[in-house]
Amino acid sequence: MAAASSSSVPFFGMREEEQYNNIQQQKLSATPSSSAAGPPAAPAPPKKKRNLPGNPNPDAEVIALSPKALLATNRFICEVCNKGFQREQNLQLHRRGHNLPWKLKQKNPKEVRRRVYICPETTCVHHDPSRALGDLTGIKKHFCRKHGEKKWKCDKCSKRYAVQSDWKAHSKTCGTREYRCDCGTLFSRRDSFITHRAFCDALAQESARLPATMGGQFYGRSAAGLMNLGLPPVNSHQFSSLQDHQTPTPPPPSNDLLRLNGNGADDAMQFDHLPSFRPAAGGSFFLGGGSSQSVNEVVNSHLLQPKPFHGLMQLQDHHASMSSSSAAVDLFNLNIFSNNGNASGATSNAAMNQFPGQFNNATTGGSSNETAYAGNLMSHHFDANMYGNETALHPHMSATALLQKAAQMGATTSNSGGASSILRGFGNLAKNNPGAGFDGVGENSGGAPQAQNEAHFNELFMNSLANGNGTINDQEAAAGFGGVFSTGIGSNINENKLQRNQLAILGAAAAADKLTRDFLGVGGRMRSLGGGVPPRELHLGIDMGSLDSELKSTRSFGGGGGGGRMQ
Amino acid sequence: MAPVVGNVPVQDDGSSSVSSSPLKTFSLMSIQPPSLSPSPYSPWLHELKSDERGLCLIHLLLNCANHVAAGSLDHANAFLEQIALLAAPDGDAMQRIASHFSEALARRALRQWPGLYHALDRVHPVAEATAARRHFFDLCPFLRVSYVVSNQAIMEAMEGEKVVHIVDLNASDPTQWLSLLQALRARPEGPPHLKITGVHEHRELLNNTAVCLSEEAERLDIPFQFNPVATKLENLDVESLRVKTGEALAISSVLQLHSLLATEAAQQAAPAAVGQQLTLGECLDKDHSSSSDSAMPSSPAESFLASLWGLSPKVMVVTEQEADHNGGALSNRFVEALFYYAALFDCLDSTAARSSVERLRLEKVLLGEEIKNIIACEGPERKQRHEKLQRWARRLDAAGFGPTPLSYCALLQGRRLLQGFGCEGYKLRDDSGCLMMSWHDRPLFSVSAWKCNRLH
Repeated sequence: MAAASSSSVPFFGMREEEQYNNIQQQKLSATPSSSAAGPPAAPAPPKKKRNLPGNPNPDAEVIALSPKALLATNRFICEVCNKGFQREQNLQLHRRGHNLPWKLKQKNPKEVRRRVYICPETTCVHHDPSRALGDLTGIKKHFCRKHGEKKWKCDKCSKRYAVQSDWKAHSKTCGTREYRCDCGTLFSRRDSFITHRAFCDALAQESARLPATMGGQFYGRSAAGLMNLGLPPVNSHQFSSLQDHQTPTPPPPSNDLLRLNGNGADDAMQFDHLPSFRPAAGGSFFLGGGSSQSVNEVVNSHLLQPKPFHGLMQLQDHHASMSSSSAAVDLFNLNIFSNNGNASGATSNAAMNQFPGQFNNATTGGSSNETAYAGNLMSHHFDANMYGNETALHPHMSATALLQKAAQMGATTSNSGGASSILRGFGNLAKNNPGAGFDGVGENSGGAPQAQNEAHFNELFMNSLANGNGTINDQEAAAGFGGVFSTGIGSNINENKLQRNQLAILGAAAAADKLTRDFLGVGGRMRSLGGGVPPRELHLGIDMGSLDSELKSTRSFGGGGGGGRMQ
Repeated sequence: MAPVVGNVPVQDDGSSSVSSSPLKTFSLMSIQPPSLSPSPYSPWLHELKSDERGLCLIHLLLNCANHVAAGSLDHANAFLEQIALLAAPDGDAMQRIASHFSEALARRALRQWPGLYHALDRVHPVAEATAARRHFFDLCPFLRVSYVVSNQAIMEAMEGEKVVHIVDLNASDPTQWLSLLQALRARPEGPPHLKITGVHEHRELLNNTAVCLSEEAERLDIPFQFNPVATKLENLDVESLRVKTGEALAISSVLQLHSLLATEAAQQAAPAAVGQQLTLGECLDKDHSSSSDSAMPSSPAESFLASLWGLSPKVMVVTEQEADHNGGALSNRFVEALFYYAALFDCLDSTAARSSVERLRLEKVLLGEEIKNIIACEGPERKQRHEKLQRWARRLDAAGFGPTPLSYCALLQGRRLLQGFGCEGYKLRDDSGCLMMSWHDRPLFSVSAWKCNRLH
């Protein structure tokens, strides 16, 4: 954020300007010093500094305020009641109430003077007039953030802020909605989460397995159309470039980063070689600022991006004060914010990969990687009644899981007893209970057709089970369920038979597990929910034999699960 | 995880303080005719944990279906009574499923009295059906993914075209085309002249779609034209679509093709006696054999597809339910439908609250009606004849279409949409160029793209 120039008032004669400037400066300096009659000592008179040549905005008037002036909240004090005001105008209006003479100063419409402010801290980058900030509020906040004491603390996490507005903005979003990517990065913003996921390594691995297509060029354009369908408006250019240049192994980032100098939205093309660079900024990766000759500075500029990441401002300033030689080390020090364990990553690439965690207010010291992924992912549309808990301790099973369990019960009783109906299985267990008192329990009084139907049902059940695929849930659930049976039905039941059933259930579930395929290339969490036989194999495996020959001659469709054919 | 209950001996009169005994008791009930009154059992019914209740319900449903298929309605009635005690349309997923499936079974049983059956057959108003479909769009990502993928396939096929004609076999929802309009606007070569011919039974919905799309096209400055064709799909005459020769045509069918199989069944069932309908049972698998043998010269579905082929579309994108709900035997269909809709109800259970009105309406009006149709209806009435993609592939191939694989880009967009949707459990897989949308490994919907084979 170098001093950006906007308007350029024509530069008249030097001398007149100088005089005018002096007068203006006097006025400016006079006002704060006279009004600060209160406890703070009189602020040092502002330096009247001429613009240096080469300044982006030669007309801009550089103003150096003292620290006291910057930190002073109410610079304009009413002499009558000592009430403080931030603005001269407000004070004047207040003076009316005291029947004091008041005058509202109008901003001179002819002389629109661009003012830029420099930071009084000599070690600060912005102390240099060529790096002056254009906004008074901006310089005040900068000074507070960087050189001030962090008096505001978030009550949910442990982040501290020097500027109250930063603190407020953070506490609004802290912990409200969190999205977690499989790589462990935490996001508070949905759009940045989605963007990140698009390029996250975990997904890149999976997509790297499939050949890149020329469909990439459509990517960006269709992205616009996706807005209607509920996707956030991601910058389409990013997609197209990354799509075209997907590489499994990222080349060293620093070279590429050097190319990423503040061109704004068209920079997407330059992200070609950074599949592993995971910018957290929502939708906008782009670096502003001047030429950056080191990763450190580039990261700085990156950190200067979107406002929501107020925590970044501290990081950025922190960086700026370091020499570039120590940059790498300091980047790693910042890993304390991140939850990722690889603090020993030797590349700045890895270091930068840590940033997303920080950017998005990852809780420090939390073991975010272990917490349930699904629970964090629920969109705000949907209510709290979530399915998200994928651990073994399901308080409540899904209907699919219940069906699979029921089918497995049917399977095991048929395996052990030779009876082939779910009903009969239940009935036998009850029959073995001496106290039952019912004769022919479970036997079909409906006659033969009913038995056949039941058998048929059981087979159908098992077939549907096979098509539907088991999940690991069953393994845990089945174990528990076997427990129910053995204890609940009564102590007189054939314990042996039940234990055999239990083992059979576990065996069946374990067998189903061996064909786990990790389609999205993401880690354990997904797998634990979805680890089953890929339906593709089942479908084609079962029906392959019956395909007509004419279909086989059609290319690819009968391909038997051979990988997707991409254009 | 099912809770483990204490080891309490079961008393033989069926009542017990332990909640696990109902499993045994229900099995005992299997032989008890209608004299069984629910009252002695109600105390412990409330003690059932949800998992056990779910298992009971499954058990009861299977038994009930069994009896309905066999025609023993007294037993079926007894089971329906029991199910009614445990099922609830606003309970957990299994309870809801049971509530809708038991209703379907009841209707099925009622077929023995055609007068009663038709008297009680109420049809939801169009507005409700439209609202339910909207809820389906909102609460589940399937339609969205289908639209995104279909649009991508269309865009790719229409690259470079100056005039694009799209035929939508169900134009009641403009959403897909709104999104396509935006995508076309962003095309580097500029948007084409777009013509959409929408087919739907109800003209009002077509008009609504027309207005929506025209406004959007106007806003985006895309030359646009909408031709409504108000007809039932089975009565559609492709001439009325007014496709010009040599035009770049794309056809989109979202969950429409399966209803065409109903007319097919009607043709085949006509010679059979009406009375046989109920006892078709496992013996008759007519519908299975029809498609593979092509003993019938051309079934309505295939002739429809052939006429679409005759229009020479550049691409036809088909979204269908990935399920086998067109078996001749009720038992087959019942079990298949049970698993399929269990997955769908699970989706909803994990994305919407129990109290959600939209979810309730969706389950009742859209899914419930589908279930009822699959189980209780036969012949031309049974429109929800879902078939798996492989069988559709055979039909499409017979009609002259060949599969064209969906691009990696489409897959990625679909995946991204699913991620953005926010609920874990949805997956999008590529299956030889077709995309399968699944819920936890159970494929539920398929999206595939087809082009014309000149070889035919």
